Amino acid sequence: MLNKTIVKLAIPLAVGALALTGCGSDSGSGDAVKIAFQGPLSGDNVALGENMQNGVKLAIEQANAKGDLDFKVEYVAADDQGLPDKATAAAQKAIDDESVVAVVGPAFSGATNTASPLYAEAGLVTVSPSATNPLLTDPKNEFKSFLRGVPNDNMQGAAMATYFAKKVQAKTVYLIDDKTDYGVGLAGVAEKGLKEAGVKVVKKSVPQKTPDYSATAKDVVNSKADALIYAGYYQDLAPFAKKLKDAGYKGAGISGDGSNDAKFVELAGDASENWFLTCPCTDATVEAGTKKFAADYQKEFGRAPGTYSAEAYDITNMIIEQVKGLKGDVQREALRDALAKASYKGLTKTFSFDENGEFKGTDVYLYQVKGGKIAYQGNVNELVG
Amino acid sequence: MSLQEFWDYLVLGVMLGSLYAVIAIGYTLVYGVLQLINFAHSEVFMLGAYGSLIVLQLVNPGDNPSALASIGFVALAMAGSALFGGFTAYGLEKVAYRPLRRRGAPRLIFLITAIGASFFLYNLAGKLFGRDPLPLPEMYDNHEVFSIFGAGVNITQMLQFATAVVMMVALDMLVNRTKLGKGIRAVAQDAEVAGLMGVNIDKVISRTFIVGGVMGGVAGFLFANLNQVSYTMGFIPGITAFAAAVVGGIGNIRGAMFGGILIGIVETMTVPLLGDEWRSVSAMVVLILVLMFRPMGILGERVGRAA
Repeated sequence: MLNKTIVKLAIPLAVGALALTGCGSDSGSGDAVKIAFQGPLSGDNVALGENMQNGVKLAIEQANAKGDLDFKVEYVAADDQGLPDKATAAAQKAIDDESVVAVVGPAFSGATNTASPLYAEAGLVTVSPSATNPLLTDPKNEFKSFLRGVPNDNMQGAAMATYFAKKVQAKTVYLIDDKTDYGVGLAGVAEKGLKEAGVKVVKKSVPQKTPDYSATAKDVVNSKADALIYAGYYQDLAPFAKKLKDAGYKGAGISGDGSNDAKFVELAGDASENWFLTCPCTDATVEAGTKKFAADYQKEFGRAPGTYSAEAYDITNMIIEQVKGLKGDVQREALRDALAKASYKGLTKTFSFDENGEFKGTDVYLYQVKGGKIAYQGNVNELVG
Repeated sequence: MSLQEFWDYLVLGVMLGSLYAVIAIGYTLVYGVLQLINFAHSEVFMLGAYGSLIVLQLVNPGDNPSALASIGFVALAMAGSALFGGFTAYGLEKVAYRPLRRRGAPRLIFLITAIGASFFLYNLAGKLFGRDPLPLPEMYDNHEVFSIFGAGVNITQMLQFATAVVMMVALDMLVNRTKLGKGIRAVAQDAEVAGLMGVNIDKVISRTFIVGGVMGGVAGFLFANLNQVSYTMGFIPGITAFAAAVVGGIGNIRGAMFGGILIGIVETMTVPLLGDEWRSVSAMVVLILVLMFRPMGILGERVGRAA
């Protein structure tokens, strides 16, 4: 009875699985060049992915509309939910589509770490606007197809540490990572910077999706820390910030680009007030160079560009320019080598890479939540003076 | 840990534990009458949170509502979550479990169906309400009301604890003093004999699901009020509450209450002693220890007997 039922269940499952594997590899049409974006397009941190996806889409649309290209650019979405265990499937989707010549992304460090060996093997270039874990460009990994379009967490973590040590003059800092590749990397650098500056550090790990942050908030208050660094994403920082407010925490708080999204303010409400946020990204709506981009973006998507929207837009344009340079014969490896050597002046900054694919440049910018808005403060190095 | 810190964390632990207890009751009730672990209960909990969110978005509390209006908003949100939770649980029983029961399907199939229903429901919620977390509108200005042993208690925590206690006492009375309660106990003890004695088994099971669903839904609202609403919010509290139900003795209502509070305290105390990353570990260690020495749970299985 039982066996029969299981067999009955298993047959449609097996047939379904076979059918699914069959539809992975449809090859694209002649002239179209496809650019993929890999990042969270569903799941918990979808806002961060959509910010970038929209930047990529806008660049593609404008490039097609201009009419000076002798090929058509198409967009391909590779959703990895920002999760390492979903990243290989997403990468495989981009790799299997033969007309995909380059990938913007992967967005998150953990996902980049798992997807990069596949991309390296396929020779398919990935330029990430946001994966900031320093280890990703370690030559030992042999992530030959990975280029980073953003200063890494060594810069961001150091900027947090410097700002707290010099500007806030914190005596004790409570440092939290969320156990993701991104959070652990960022916290590690910040810890080093703080200790060098002679600041006492209380370091804890608080995994993502903790059901109740009350006890953690109490622990922060009890530690007598006068400043807090949260290395993680907005979805977890928001409830935590609320609990910190409830617990009567009065010190300063700072988080990185994983929290630098309007969604953080929306979720945490008043509790987000005065939080500092860093980002190697500029504010597209404030900087003069990106004002027009911000207006186009607003018109197209009905909202202001978010974290890394402008960077994703720049990177897409950089890819399109290199494709143009290859004059019709777009081989994946050739495009990868061309991009690795290229220098492109985008709206946000100049993109160029060292021999390991690391971004050349170190600027990190500071933001602070004020009156329910994330207000741009400027370059951290200049603020600290 | 100083004595004051001990009290602080103990109070926080009891607060969190009372929520786990309310969710755990949903598992225990269903297990009592059907001998089925309803893994879709975490989705009943999640949908309850969405229910309160929808109601609050409709009535829109705005900024700084008056005290009386605040009470009204909380009551409406709670009613919304109870409705969503109860309806989801009722629907689950009707669509996913009753047809199997009619055909006398083996237990394993029930379990697979439960897991399938859970996947279906949370993906459906993601599709319907979006995959981005959403904040629950603020219904009142949260501030400290009183303190127990020097540990401050704010409105949110008071609401959470008081609601949980009221629901648990009401349930205890329902099961022990009403006709439905008698029916639940009879079906839990021996469904076949209860049927022969004139108990309408389908009705009792259906209502048991509704009672568990209402409680789970309200717990969803309280949790969302603590954090935020998202389609994936059910999983971790669901699994923890399930562990709590087993610790207390699955099928035993008072056991679920006891287990929930115990797990809440253990998890919270872990934070200052070992750190956040050990929370779930210590909860599971408690589960394993209990199962090693008392496989039936601390209070044992006894929905069928007078509690």
